[in-house]
Amino acid sequence: MKKQTIGFVALLLASTSWALAEDVPIEGTVQSRCVIQTDTAGVYGNPNAYTLTTDPSDGGALAIIRFDVTLADAYKAEITAPSSFSSSPPLPDVVTWTGDTEVDAVSDASGMGSYETDKVEQGLKDIYDLTATGSTWFKTSSVATMGGSKAFPGGNYTALVVAECIAQ
Amino acid sequence: MALLPSYSYSESIAPYFGSTGNAVTDQSLRWSMGDILPDPPGLDINGVIYSYTINKDVDDQVDVHVQNENALGTGYIFRETDRWMPGSLSGTGINKVVPVVPGIPRAAWGEGSIEVEGEGSVSDPTVRYTYRVDPCFDPQFDPNCPGYKTPVPDIPTIDLSSLYDVTNDENVNLNRETELTEESDEDEKTEEELAEEEEEEEKDREQRLEDALAEAGRSEMFAQALAQSQILASVNAATNMNSYYSTSIAGGTYKENVVLVDKDLPNSKRGLRNGLAQQLLHEKMIDMQYNR
Repeated sequence: MKKQTIGFVALLLASTSWALAEDVPIEGTVQSRCVIQTDTAGVYGNPNAYTLTTDPSDGGALAIIRFDVTLADAYKAEITAPSSFSSSPPLPDVVTWTGDTEVDAVSDASGMGSYETDKVEQGLKDIYDLTATGSTWFKTSSVATMGGSKAFPGGNYTALVVAECIAQ
Repeated sequence: MALLPSYSYSESIAPYFGSTGNAVTDQSLRWSMGDILPDPPGLDINGVIYSYTINKDVDDQVDVHVQNENALGTGYIFRETDRWMPGSLSGTGINKVVPVVPGIPRAAWGEGSIEVEGEGSVSDPTVRYTYRVDPCFDPQFDPNCPGYKTPVPDIPTIDLSSLYDVTNDENVNLNRETELTEESDEDEKTEEELAEEEEEEEKDREQRLEDALAEAGRSEMFAQALAQSQILASVNAATNMNSYYSTSIAGGTYKENVVLVDKDLPNSKRGLRNGLAQQLLHEKMIDMQYNR
């Protein structure tokens, strides 16, 4: 019986203590200060049976990606040229991939003019320090070559360029 | 709500925005604003959008100025400089949107140009101006514009004394005034003057009677002459008829002296055809009567 009473009192105290507590939320919204947009989708040209290329002279088109940054020295742009098809007909052999990314245009000559010379290349991935606020347009090329000089089967081919804005 | 503007704009007077075409049309990299800006008053340039590709050695520094001269003074009304530092590669483009402080008079926007300082050049340049047009820049543009004033016709002030006044014209006979004048003259005349006037009027009356009688006499003479000529004409006509009446025709037999030369006078073919048709119809009707 005592235990119960204690227990009751204890319960009452606990209840009173819980009723006086207040959870105060703190909310916030972080707006992205780095926005990536596709400016121009790339197109593969087919200069011969075993090559797909975005070279404009071969009927292709480069992919143009735009980075808008509103905070300087806070982000890196990592752009990776394709290394596989996201969709394609069954392929008869292994495909060899090459690709590159370059600065196409900037919105600030003095702050962004050296992005291209300062970039870091890691295979198909190019890394840029976004040291200035503004917009930067990157152009990515891609070449896919079928192994053994075999022909690409007829059909639709899609490959993806991966563009990332990495906080430093 | 209290902060909202008190004016409500109709669609036609609402400010609108636009942009020009590419101002750079040749390799001179210079352009006249009069050639690219549209006409409406109240146009206010609010931005410049330009792009180009820089061509230079990687180690060089090149400054590129996109600018407009101040047409109302010296210097530039707009100037944006891109400093391409050593390390920036040739072939890199620039796309830039530069806002412009609003309210710069249109007339202040002088000749535009792209100027390159240093060892380098630009290619594929485009320069476009964005603008805002306020149709109510001139409040009289539309009755709905704030500050619109109903036009009052400009009536010129005229010196009335310089105008022609018929009442002051000596050559104009205003009957009423004349009568009044005559009446007043009548009242003012003396008896002698009245007697003289009456005597003159009597003379005039006699003269008019004489003229009338003379004219009547002349008319009577003319009428008599006309009657006499008519009598003479009728007498002459009677004389001429008598010669016919007095002619006598001898009795006896008068034989036909007209002879037809043709022996056979053929019937008209048209009439023959018509007559034949009627004959046939006639015979048909007769046959019908006898049930033939």
